Amino acid sequence: MTPFLKNMLVIARRDFLAIVATPTFLLFLLAPLFMVGMGLAGGMGASQLADSARGAGRIVAVVGADDVEALRAADTRLRASVARRVPELEVRIAGPATTDPIAIAREKGSDTYAVLSGPLATPRIIEREADSNAGHYLALLADDVLRLKAAGPLPAVAPKFEALSSGGTSIALQQSLGFGAVFIIFLLTLLLAGQTVSSLAEEKGNKVIEILAAAVPLESVFLGKLLGFLGVAVLFIAFWLAMALVGGLIAALRIDPAALASVQSASKATAALAAAPATGWPFFLGIGFVYFILSFLLLGAVFLGVGAQAATVREIQMLSLPITIFQVGMFSLSTAAASAPGSSLSTIAQIFPLSSPLAMAARAATDDSKAVHLLALGWQAVWVALVIFLSVRLFRAGVLSGGGSWKFWRRSGRAAALAATAAAATEQAADRH
Amino acid sequence: MNDFSVEAKGLTKYFGDFKAVDDVSLTVPTGSIYGVLGPNGAGKTTSLRMTLGIIDPDEGTSRVFGERPQAVRHRIGYLPEERGLYPGMKAREAIAFMGALRGLDWSEGRRRAATFMTELGLERVIDEKIRKMSKGMAQMIQLIGSIVHGPDLIVLDEPFSGLDPVNQERLEMLVRRERDRGATILFSTHVMAHAERLCDRLAIIARSQRRFEGTVDDARALLPMQVRYTPRGDADAAAIAALLPAGAEPRGDSWFFPIEDVDVEPLLARITGSGLGVAGLSITRPALHDAFVHIVRQVDASFDADASTDAVEEALA
Repeated sequence: MTPFLKNMLVIARRDFLAIVATPTFLLFLLAPLFMVGMGLAGGMGASQLADSARGAGRIVAVVGADDVEALRAADTRLRASVARRVPELEVRIAGPATTDPIAIAREKGSDTYAVLSGPLATPRIIEREADSNAGHYLALLADDVLRLKAAGPLPAVAPKFEALSSGGTSIALQQSLGFGAVFIIFLLTLLLAGQTVSSLAEEKGNKVIEILAAAVPLESVFLGKLLGFLGVAVLFIAFWLAMALVGGLIAALRIDPAALASVQSASKATAALAAAPATGWPFFLGIGFVYFILSFLLLGAVFLGVGAQAATVREIQMLSLPITIFQVGMFSLSTAAASAPGSSLSTIAQIFPLSSPLAMAARAATDDSKAVHLLALGWQAVWVALVIFLSVRLFRAGVLSGGGSWKFWRRSGRAAALAATAAAATEQAADRH
Repeated sequence: MNDFSVEAKGLTKYFGDFKAVDDVSLTVPTGSIYGVLGPNGAGKTTSLRMTLGIIDPDEGTSRVFGERPQAVRHRIGYLPEERGLYPGMKAREAIAFMGALRGLDWSEGRRRAATFMTELGLERVIDEKIRKMSKGMAQMIQLIGSIVHGPDLIVLDEPFSGLDPVNQERLEMLVRRERDRGATILFSTHVMAHAERLCDRLAIIARSQRRFEGTVDDARALLPMQVRYTPRGDADAAAIAALLPAGAEPRGDSWFFPIEDVDVEPLLARITGSGLGVAGLSITRPALHDAFVHIVRQVDASFDADASTDAVEEALA
């Protein structure tokens, strides 16, 4: 092993252990549980609200006794074909006490969206809102009942269903997989890579940086830190993958085998088109993980370099917002690229170094060429090296040397101070003479 | 083997418009203890940092063991002026970590850490976290960390500051022992007593420039010896003044005056021949402290004079 790699591993080991061997790491590791918990609680609340809203709504048809069954049959037939959800239909037989549609519409206990009354040929429809879907639906029901009556009995339909033995791969599903890859890599990078922005703050705060700079090349310090944080990220992912696997196994063991078989057959029946990535699952998952690593290293290197220039914790905190916005920008670009494979936007996203890992992961879902990924990985690795190189140069020239800072406000501040000193000296000299 | 462990030539560094180090050269003989002395803000730390390649000089070059300092990092041990350790690390681990940075195996680093700490009376804090230690103790840990890998060149920036007298003595012992092992020691300080006791050679930096280079004796020889003479009985002051060199000052019963080495014997002859008698006579060489103050004051005086001239010229222009 070369001394450079050895140094890098020493730094990575220190950073990894410094993060993992603390009680706060447990909190970090279990943080997704809070997210899932909050999501579940929110979801349940929203679901209950939706259920109660659905249960309270209705449309009412007040018709003659002869039309009740025909109306219900028409509702059953048409409801499945209507895209929008229609409130439940309540059919009442017209009588002296039940014919006032306005009174029905104002009944307490549930929301009544529309009430139909009178003869089906010229029905009176009272709507809660003018030109509502509920009102139009009631008119459609009346129309359907009348048409059936006019046409008389229909011959029975005997359809013959045939299915393709293989439905092929769904382009839409592949794009969805691409989007999924972009989202997962983005989310993991957002959660994990952003930490590197403050990673040099510790060394700068406790003055260890000078020891490191004297002992090893700064490049190995930066890379070692990235590697340490990557180790933490991989540990995080491995932990949750293991949890998911264990959870899946436990769930599979508890489910009745017969029910499982029926679910499997049902899913086979519904999955007319396969949801497989263009490069195949093993390659897609593998390359997705590698792209996560490259995305982590690239963004982590940028954050590390920017964070290294910050002099105080406050500056680091101030940097967090633009960094997050930048990450979201990369996500948006890659998402747009995933939804338009082959477009020039997608090519730009694949070439731009910081969005490249996300966009290329999406490409692996929709495009079966594999060699291009090798090229992309090389391109991204070059950028990781370049960012580290530039960050180290900036750090050496600015922070470590205590001068020559790239920060324009500091340069202008120093220039102003020098100008003021020069002015004061001139003034003093003039006073003496 | 190189005759000189460090050969830094013409090191110059600007911070903005301020020239922090101006054409400083340091040549440190192998196996010696070399001190870099100077008042606060003279440019000692920046010179050492450039010598070790931690920061790049704007002008000048530095060679350590005949090579770029970056190429021989593993042969160097460095204690920076601003002490730094990871507070969450245990002492033994911190030392092993610093050794590992210079290529020492972790387990060997831990073993050596225990040995060094025991020798220095720190065995009770071997597995103590740094954050629980006193400042002086942490400094000793860092010092051990900078020599644990057995470096050929040890650079210590203000190593004595913050240490109590007992630990200062331990540090002096450690420095001598490392020199006896064959290592070259380069350290900066503004406490003259340590430099006087330890240094084989030294450089004095003031106002960004090297103002002196040589041995401790060379530095002390910059000033004449000081004589304190007390005549016997009630002698006539005019007669005494005539006997002594010009500039002799009476203070109480005694007279004080400087004297060159060559004038000692004639003076003694004059005194014994005068009949004034000798109630007391001491001839002392100036300490390094005196030489240092003398050099620094000279530099400050010339700067003040230059500043006045510049101000006049500026005003006239």
